[in-house]
Amino acid sequence: MPKAVKRFIGLLGLLTIVSMVTFGAMNFLGDPLFNILGPVAADVDNPESLAAIEEAKAQYHLDKSLPERWARWAWDFIRGDFGVQFSSSGQPPVSDLIKERLPRTLELMAVAQLIAVSLAIPWSVLAASRANRRTDKISTITAFAFVSIPSFAMAVILFYFFSVQLDFLPDTYTANDPFWGFSHDHRLIQLILPGFTLGLGSAAAYQRLLRTDMITTLQQDFILMAKSKGVSKRRVLYSHALRPSLFSLITLLAINIGFMIGGSLVVEQFFRIPGIGSAVVEATLREDFPVVLAVVMIVSAGFMVFNYLADYLYTLVDPRVRHEDSSKPRKITSMGM
Amino acid sequence: MNDEQATDMDNINTIDSETAEVQEETNDSNPLEVSEFADKKTLGFGFWLAAFWLVLISFLAVFSPMLPFKDSEKNYIAFEQKENPITGKMQERPIQPPYAPSSEHWLGTDQDARDILSRSIEGARISLAVGALTALFGMVVGGTLGMIAGYFKGVLDKVVGAIFLVVLSFPGLILAILIVALLDRSLLTISVTLGILGVAPIGRLARAQTLSFSEREFVMAAETLGSKKSRILIKELLPNVLIPMSTLAMLVIAVAIVGEGTLAFLGLSVQGSATWGKLILTGSGLNTLESSPWVAFVPMGFLFLTVASFNYLSDRIRDYFDVRDIFVTRD
Amino acid sequence: MLRETEETETILKLTDYRVGFRTERGLAKAVDGVSLSLKRGSTLAIVGESGSGKTVLNRGVMGLLGANIIEGGSAEFQGKELVNESRQKFWGIKMAMIFQDPMTSLNPVMKVGKQVSEPLRLHQGMSKKAARERTIELFTLVGIPEPAQRFNEYPHQLSGGMRQRVMISIALAIDPDLLIADEPTTSLDVTVQKYILDLLVEIQSKSDMSMIIITHDLGVARGRADEIMVMYGGRVMEMAPAETLFQSMMHPYTEALFSSIPRLNDPKHTRLKPIEGFPPDIVDGPQGCKFAPRCKYAQDICLTAHPPETIDNGHAYSCFFPVGTDAGIQALESNEARGFTATGLKIKSKSEAI
Repeated sequence: MPKAVKRFIGLLGLLTIVSMVTFGAMNFLGDPLFNILGPVAADVDNPESLAAIEEAKAQYHLDKSLPERWARWAWDFIRGDFGVQFSSSGQPPVSDLIKERLPRTLELMAVAQLIAVSLAIPWSVLAASRANRRTDKISTITAFAFVSIPSFAMAVILFYFFSVQLDFLPDTYTANDPFWGFSHDHRLIQLILPGFTLGLGSAAAYQRLLRTDMITTLQQDFILMAKSKGVSKRRVLYSHALRPSLFSLITLLAINIGFMIGGSLVVEQFFRIPGIGSAVVEATLREDFPVVLAVVMIVSAGFMVFNYLADYLYTLVDPRVRHEDSSKPRKITSMGM
Repeated sequence: MNDEQATDMDNINTIDSETAEVQEETNDSNPLEVSEFADKKTLGFGFWLAAFWLVLISFLAVFSPMLPFKDSEKNYIAFEQKENPITGKMQERPIQPPYAPSSEHWLGTDQDARDILSRSIEGARISLAVGALTALFGMVVGGTLGMIAGYFKGVLDKVVGAIFLVVLSFPGLILAILIVALLDRSLLTISVTLGILGVAPIGRLARAQTLSFSEREFVMAAETLGSKKSRILIKELLPNVLIPMSTLAMLVIAVAIVGEGTLAFLGLSVQGSATWGKLILTGSGLNTLESSPWVAFVPMGFLFLTVASFNYLSDRIRDYFDVRDIFVTRD
Repeated sequence: MLRETEETETILKLTDYRVGFRTERGLAKAVDGVSLSLKRGSTLAIVGESGSGKTVLNRGVMGLLGANIIEGGSAEFQGKELVNESRQKFWGIKMAMIFQDPMTSLNPVMKVGKQVSEPLRLHQGMSKKAARERTIELFTLVGIPEPAQRFNEYPHQLSGGMRQRVMISIALAIDPDLLIADEPTTSLDVTVQKYILDLLVEIQSKSDMSMIIITHDLGVARGRADEIMVMYGGRVMEMAPAETLFQSMMHPYTEALFSSIPRLNDPKHTRLKPIEGFPPDIVDGPQGCKFAPRCKYAQDICLTAHPPETIDNGHAYSCFFPVGTDAGIQALESNEARGFTATGLKIKSKSEAI
């Protein structure tokens, strides 16, 4: 069996287990009936309530065993039916909520990732080209500090300086505004502050990795060769040294999407962005299980797919892997949530 | 050509005397010793600075009830003499808090006139406790699982590996929110929840270390001498796994402190107590930030210094002991 | 190979050229007073073991050693002083370099065609298309089959010999006045080695450039260089026109080096005599002659004084007891009689060796 297929099956298996665990935990720890009916669910002495309870149980298959309910849920999920939102009035389908919220989060992540990468690359190149000199030392300390600032603190800091003090960037996010444009009435501009909040820490993490890799690359013979060909310093850095240094960064980019999802929960909450992160927080607090389950599945799947993609993205920058079957194992520094 | 080389000769002779001088200098300072000293790795000034901060903050956190700090829950409302616009009499009137840093309140007060220094130290108690409990849970559970997997190999290793893989494929923070929301917001629940997230990374490290050490001579020797397996695990392997594991545990503490803050921002932190996350949240409203930024920034400073110190210590110790690939959280 | 014209122009002239590195233990004198002069269209071979300073010498001249070095003496390139000056203006135009290992000196993630056409585009103002055509022409010239197809390939797709040909095409694209080839064939198969070397010499004589070949193999230098310089411990041990050197080696190091290296035309089962010991410590090396600790001829004076340079009809060498002279023969015999040299090196007498 090809390696890619094997890995894909592995991912499906993992997703299955993730869904089972989440499904089980929610049913053991919470009470779905209560979320659907509210206080009525506890009112078992009233025949009217009892009828409603029976009806709800039948409708949502709550009278069935847990494995059977999971199987029903999974079957629906595969066909794209994510169930209904228990706690919203009229119980609209979960997919409506996802359709509305997911694009907001993806916008935020894209802006953040763009900021992170476009900061990290020149920053790393500058630091690596002056390795161990003063510029590099200062930038190493800065990167370390940025990595140690959690996203909620970064949100407060940036908000304070750019919105409160300088009154420079918009402090409100309006979901209905058009995205593309350069005034305060465009989401692109409204996303700058949240984007930097998520992006600065990532930029610093990327810088730490890319700087080290760049320094290693700059000691290679082919850099001397490029210099001796009379290639300018800038060109040596950007068109000769950068690309061969990008390999581990690509893996980190993919892994970091997982961390950004964690960070985006807080950022969305702080800047009041109606994204999938704030959706899951609200749903958890209201114990709206179908929503939580759907988001957990989407996020886990997204995380896994990005990791999976990283290996193929890798071949884009490294022609050596493209022409071989096996990609070399890469280890990457990461830990957290 | 001959002329040229004659000048060459002169030059060579001149360098010779220079060379001799340089050599004498190096001989005096005993080059071998110098090089050994230079090659020796040092932890550096930053390491001791970070360690100092952590010792200080831990000391303050543990002994704060015995130290002469202000009561973190008391409202220190200040009064001023002011003329009553209606009666025209001088009257004592309360001043609207928050108060800026002063000799009375070194780091200011919050909106309820509570002393921020005392509250930040109170916050350190909870935040550090969360961090320590999280790391402890991660080390005990992850370390045990990892060491067993690494030592016994085979089926056990496969099962444990699969557990780690599953835990790692959960979106960690969402998992934490779910557990905390569904259970309760006690210190223990939050710590254990965050601890579960640390199990897999710590466990993988413990497994890798055990695996490599279990093939070393001293373990082999103990095995041939007929030592019990449990004895080998505890006496021979544990001490060797502990150092790399504890550098990772420091990182877990940092992550746990951040995790607690994140939960606080989502309204899910430890109930009833002041944590750094909650303190920062209290001060991060638009109006408070505008009028009294210290309310948010003081506890943030405490949190940042602590998180950065743990990160830095972990980094330095890892370099010092040359522990490679410590943070491999995935294949 | 030396083009005889009325006025042979001097391309490179080193006078007491020195390169030092700052280290924890003190100054490392990697090149310790080298003087030479290279005429247009001629070839100089620099021979020595690894650690003899030959690579540092050339990278120093090229200005590729970075900022952390100390340069001394003088190095003139076409009459312009190089020491402590930026050489960037010569890079890719007047000077070119071929590195030892084409695997590491070609950018692994850049198409080889681009790497060759880069200097054409940057310094000769060629259009992308013209540079491509010229590159394919150069590939043909250096004997790369299917040059148009190779243009779009990456270094790892080529064999070692092909990669070195790509390197040579880069040098050709630059069309420099001075080409430095640093062990150009060390990483290649023996059969490919000869081809590449002959190609280099052919191109060099056609285009009238000056060339420095760095090698540890005296055999490589033979027949391809006009002049040979033997380096050891950052110093010149012996320098002479190629044929003179092979006919009469004066320095014990040259002799030792010559008999430690296998040659294609040696009779079968010729026993090689490796040079015992290691290259000297360049920070805290021997006081006298750098080679003394490993020299069969060494006498007491070799330990304390650096031998002056003797120049005999264009043949320069620095030794108190040159090979083949009365002093040298006497020194060797007395050491053989004792069984060890003045530095304590054990040696076998002639009769035992046979």
